Amino acid sequence: MTAELPGERPRAASGADLAGLLAKVARGDDAAFAGVYDQFATIVYGIVRRVVRDPAQSEEVTQEVLLEVWRTASRFDPGEGSARSWLMTLAHRRAVDRVRSAQASAEREARAAVAATDYDVVAEEVENRLDAQRVRRCLDALTELQRESVTLAYYGGYTYREVAALLGVAVGTVKTRMRDGLIRLRDCLGTEP
Amino acid sequence: MRLRRTDPHTLAGAYALDALGEADRERFEHHLGGCESCKAEAASLRDAAGRLAEVTAAAPPPQLRGQVIAEAARTRQQAPPVRVTERVRRSWHGVGWPAAPRMAVAIAGVGILVALALGALLINDQHRLHIYDTQRSQIAAVLNAPDADIMTVRARPHGAATVVMSHTARALVLTTARLPALPASECYQVWLMGRHGVRSAGRLPSPKQGMTAPMIVAGLAAGDRMGVTVEPAGGAARPSSPPVVMLDLPTA
Repeated sequence: MTAELPGERPRAASGADLAGLLAKVARGDDAAFAGVYDQFATIVYGIVRRVVRDPAQSEEVTQEVLLEVWRTASRFDPGEGSARSWLMTLAHRRAVDRVRSAQASAEREARAAVAATDYDVVAEEVENRLDAQRVRRCLDALTELQRESVTLAYYGGYTYREVAALLGVAVGTVKTRMRDGLIRLRDCLGTEP
Repeated sequence: MRLRRTDPHTLAGAYALDALGEADRERFEHHLGGCESCKAEAASLRDAAGRLAEVTAAAPPPQLRGQVIAEAARTRQQAPPVRVTERVRRSWHGVGWPAAPRMAVAIAGVGILVALALGALLINDQHRLHIYDTQRSQIAAVLNAPDADIMTVRARPHGAATVVMSHTARALVLTTARLPALPASECYQVWLMGRHGVRSAGRLPSPKQGMTAPMIVAGLAAGDRMGVTVEPAGGAARPSSPPVVMLDLPTA
């Protein structure tokens, strides 16, 4: 069924492993912190780069995110969600904060034009990784409006109001498409082998 | 055109995608505070959103690893949230303070002793005595309960709340210190939230020297959380602002 492709990068550690690492990081274990870096820097840098785009700023934000992990590992609460989710939230929020605070509106509009093609660009860059393929398959299973709403917000860093403006649809429609899209994505990712 | 308040539930997707502006985000997080099923949904949608990063993975510049690790070595880590749980009796009756590693506990204990002592003085104001008599015996009952737990939680943006809770008494005693001062038009209101919905537990007494006198909150249910919000001086029927204090009460 799902044979590992040769030459594939090792899969990022599971959330349970990350939770274990975070517990050690919280106690100042620098080897555990290096472990977090080695297993998650790629995915963190990738999403930051996708949202922020500028390589130098992306590097800066990635460093901020990982230092935040070091600083606040003791605040991770397994009762609130998975460790992976905690880390990705940190990364995505930082990236989004960076573009929302730093970017002048003119520059943002220029980005809007680029962002409209985001999904295709993303698709092209996809490595031959099974995780990535699964996410792509599940994205493809969304309706167009769901997919556009979700990807413009996540990869483009836009607010739902901005997404509504970009797509020329009502704000309320975008809100529901985002929620329905994510629910579908969640169910698809959760039930596929 | 329909005019109605938007249902905060519909924001769950936008929230998980970090697509809410600051005001919307605060409003939604406030909503989450009182809704367990919404919290679970939000967490599952966040999880799904986070998976979207699978397709953008990209190797960072090689020098970043050394930089990050070196920077971490110079960066102080945050202490875990202070949610100290300790049997009261042990410290209350002077069996001895815990040893050095338990210093945080000891400090929380001293904090509440001071707060309670001050509170006890304050409520001895002659005219108010009879009103407080019942409360005082309820407070004493909680403090002396064999299963009393002390918890201290940080308030936002500053200050702290200390809670002594007894499962058997289904009640807690709350004191606060150094919360932001409020104008006369506002007050702090205490809430219980859980399976039985959101219930007001009354207003915090006004502070004396930055501390509020002990307040009894009775009728706790399993799984309740306690929150404190800023409300109009007369109190509100439902919380209308983000909590300054939020504490998950331990279950027995």
